[in-house]
Amino acid sequence: MMEQEIVSKVNALMARGFELSEKDLVPTARLKEDLGLDSLDAVDMLVHLEESLGSRIEGERLMQVKTLSDVYGLVKEAAASKS
Amino acid sequence: MKKVFISGMGALTSLGCDVASTFNGLVENRSGIKRFAEWEQYNGLHSHVGAPVPAYDIMKVPRSARRTMSRMSEMATLATMQALGQADLRLENCDGERTLIIMGSTSGSPVTLELYFKQLFERGGPQGQMSTSFFKVMNHSVPANVASALGYHGALLSPSSACSTSSQALVLGWELLQSGFYDCVIAGGADELHYMTAAIFDIVLAASRRYNYEPERASRPFDRDRDGLVVSEGAGVVILETEERLRRRGGLALAEFRGGAYVCDGLHMSQSSGDAMRQTMGQAIRRAQLVPADIGYINAHATATLQGDIEEAQTIAKMFGEQTPVSSLKGNLGHSLAACGAVEVIASVLMMQNNVLLPTRNLDNPDAMCLGVNLIRENCSSAVQHVLSNNFAFGGMNTSLVISAVGSGQ
Repeated sequence: MMEQEIVSKVNALMARGFELSEKDLVPTARLKEDLGLDSLDAVDMLVHLEESLGSRIEGERLMQVKTLSDVYGLVKEAAASKS
Repeated sequence: MKKVFISGMGALTSLGCDVASTFNGLVENRSGIKRFAEWEQYNGLHSHVGAPVPAYDIMKVPRSARRTMSRMSEMATLATMQALGQADLRLENCDGERTLIIMGSTSGSPVTLELYFKQLFERGGPQGQMSTSFFKVMNHSVPANVASALGYHGALLSPSSACSTSSQALVLGWELLQSGFYDCVIAGGADELHYMTAAIFDIVLAASRRYNYEPERASRPFDRDRDGLVVSEGAGVVILETEERLRRRGGLALAEFRGGAYVCDGLHMSQSSGDAMRQTMGQAIRRAQLVPADIGYINAHATATLQGDIEEAQTIAKMFGEQTPVSSLKGNLGHSLAACGAVEVIASVLMMQNNVLLPTRNLDNPDAMCLGVNLIRENCSSAVQHVLSNNFAFGGMNTSLVISAVGSGQ
């Protein structure tokens, strides 16, 4: 999956799943402090990502995810391992 | 005995998304019952009628609170907001040591339970379950979500006794106000419509199945041609405050909550017991420091089941004779299970305030087995001082309570 495709897909999913404004979805946005997401949201984000990608992401990986950019990285990694 | 008053009321019912629209619908004798053609697909389900709550706006509740809510919690939250608004109270400002929330539902969200288990079986395990699902199906989902949405910090209880849940919550609240530990109770109940709920009653031949193409005629308490109840949904929330607290804060009393009782008959899970009904009504009236002759109107539980209506009517006849007006609102609203007790209290308060008694919808030909009581069939002008309200539930649960007009004296 291309970088831009990942960004678009993740941003659309975040906007829809968590009622976030597209303008707030910048790579440096921190999930907790800037986007107001908590641990429950993080788990649901993972479910949304897995369904969207059609591949598994280990829940433990969430521990390292702090920013939206980290989410893009996680998806990129999962997409690469799938292909 | 401490005097306890009702200071706020909120409701979402099949007739409207607030107290005023619900009461107007009742005064106009409208029906909230609809045909559910999609229920025909369920193998073994014969009842295809239900009474849904009209569309409501939940977006005023932040997403962080909304995400763990099923419909029952959404409706309970909105009803609580209405009640608090009427009482001019803010939960976040209430003294958490003196305030108590008591709310419940028949079960956790049936809508979510179905989705949860469907996915669990399809996927062979919990893969892909949302983190928020459990918070919609846990037994105290309704009050926990109300507290979370409204920033409440204090005591909370979640009794569950099916169709007597919210009336039991109210009586329990009254008892705990008498204990002196609390001076404000926010009590109620909520349930959401789902075909499984209709099925629960359908399986035991207690749900209406002959009126699937005439839904507005389906719920007919005390009527000769009734064939069972119609499931509904909704939320009812009532705020109880001690006289001392209400006076201190300059709040307005809408009615007096005189007392009530709850009794489990321990006899049968589904069949009602006239003896237990009599015991419950008698205890409620004694706790209210009244006698049966003081009761000016009885809001019956009467869900339109064959046996339950007869038991209730015959017990009322023995205790009150044939003068006291009696009606059931389930002909209009359907049976909203955990919500119905509080909703019926709210309607009864408005009947007293408006000097009108509301009839039983669809009571065209009273069942001969239900005679001997004054079953009202049209709106009656009447200045009633004391109302007895009944709710009886599966599990042998019986609840009765008494509310009185403000300044009723006795």
